Amino acid sequence: MQNSLSRVLPLRTAVSTSAGLASAAVNFLAAVEVAEYAGGQSAWLAILVAGVLIVFAGSNFSELNGLFPSAAAIRVWIRRGVNDQVSLVSSFVYMFTVVFVIAADAFVLGHTFSRAIPAIPALLWILAILALVTWSNSRGIKVAGAVQDTNAFVLLGTLMLFSLMVLARTRHLGQFHYFHLGSNWFEAIALGIFIFVGFEWVTPLAEEFQDFRAIPRGMYIALGLIAVAFGLFSLALTVAFPHVHLLAHSFVPQLLVGMKAMGKFGFWWMAFVTLTTAMTTFNGGLLSASRFVYALAREKALPSWFSRLNGRLVPQNALMTLAGTSFVLAIVVYFTGQYLFLINAGAGVESFMYALSSWLVISLRRRDPKRARPFHAFGYPVVPVIMGVIFLGLGVEALLTPTGPSGFPWSLVFFAVLLVLMVIYVLVAIPRLKEKKPGLGQVSKGSKGV
Amino acid sequence: MTLLEALQQFVTECNQNERLREMNRDWSRRIQLEPDDTQHLHWLVSDEGLVSAGEGPVDNPDMLIQAPEEILTAIFSGEMTPTEPYNAGDLLVRGQQDDIMRLDILTLLIWGE
Repeated sequence: MQNSLSRVLPLRTAVSTSAGLASAAVNFLAAVEVAEYAGGQSAWLAILVAGVLIVFAGSNFSELNGLFPSAAAIRVWIRRGVNDQVSLVSSFVYMFTVVFVIAADAFVLGHTFSRAIPAIPALLWILAILALVTWSNSRGIKVAGAVQDTNAFVLLGTLMLFSLMVLARTRHLGQFHYFHLGSNWFEAIALGIFIFVGFEWVTPLAEEFQDFRAIPRGMYIALGLIAVAFGLFSLALTVAFPHVHLLAHSFVPQLLVGMKAMGKFGFWWMAFVTLTTAMTTFNGGLLSASRFVYALAREKALPSWFSRLNGRLVPQNALMTLAGTSFVLAIVVYFTGQYLFLINAGAGVESFMYALSSWLVISLRRRDPKRARPFHAFGYPVVPVIMGVIFLGLGVEALLTPTGPSGFPWSLVFFAVLLVLMVIYVLVAIPRLKEKKPGLGQVSKGSKGV
Repeated sequence: MTLLEALQQFVTECNQNERLREMNRDWSRRIQLEPDDTQHLHWLVSDEGLVSAGEGPVDNPDMLIQAPEEILTAIFSGEMTPTEPYNAGDLLVRGQQDDIMRLDILTLLIWGE
């Protein structure tokens, strides 16, 4: 398409969207888990290695995004590169990952504010914030781009600044083992993937950029910022609190770093940043996932009930179902304390998706060799093949990582059950849905202007 | 049916529907249709609730829609939902996501699921 659009997004938005979607509040807990497996101060190195590997996945996504710049993103790429069934299964699993991240962020938010203001129960915080974001979404109110942009940079800037302050105040920095690779270092890298989860969710915005190169550039800049910010955070955390395993039960490592850096102000500033980060995760997650569910219902991959719109042209049923599911999952996680299960499952699913991105690059080069590619993946075909194998291994490792004292990998069981259910749904339920007689498009009664 | 005939049918459906006119009152957009096989440009303009269409380029478009002419014709004549070719990668759109969704909703409200 050669014509130029009247309104387009700038590179800054590509960076902030990529960084913002990856920077969930649960990343603070993920950093603690990475440090536990890395054996302490070398957590920063595990996060850096995970970030470098993800740059190659980013290169795959850049090629796929340039090939088919579409909000349907993976739905299109996998359909073209493999087939419709695999595309649907992957899309559903991917969508569930968004719900996991929302639930995990709700868990962190609840613990943060029950620590900051103990008089108000954590579940009430979770319900209130989730309800507020769902309500604003259902009214068609969007968090302004500037607010979304600002939050990502404030979070990453705060992490860098506070972490450097903690490091500057720590005595005898030379006594620590910054390059010590423990026996579980591979697990540490596998879980480090979670820190970057969602960086590629900027690709569905491809249609809103005039220059296709903005997305790859945005992703790479965001990956660099995330690696530096969370690398420094893990370093500050492990230096200030060398007995990392004791942090695992605090659930609020970011507040502890805030306290160490700037006392009471640091504590409250971190609580505020956690709130805004969780809210942008809820907002971005519900907004994109509800539109995705709507699109699947429109092509009859889900019951048409999910394509019903409210008076403000928002897919209300899809939105409410996703918000309700996230809330129920958040309650379960809050009472069981099994947040590691979500981190491991999220890291596993994303690693598999990155492995699949390598497969898609190779497959589409063969199936559609003449189609224009504004961006080419690094080192084709050798690098995509190597990266595909590495991410497959990291995904298996993340799912095999124990989630509790029993040592049993519940994330693997959960992932397997979810996958089987999605395969059954795609092979059995969707063909029946597509056979149904088409009905009329519905908009709720009493809707404004419709 | 040609693409222009399909667009004219779409325009009639939109303009005859009072609820759609009301819904589009605050939605003024210029849409360029680019059939990637015939390169025969068409346009669709929504201006304060009233929709019009024609052949040729449009200045400063808010949205660009690219697909084979047969698919564009099927979409604007109601034979096919936009979602199916869109999710298959046969229909590429450039523009704001709210506008893309609005266009899909228009087809949903005119022709149903």
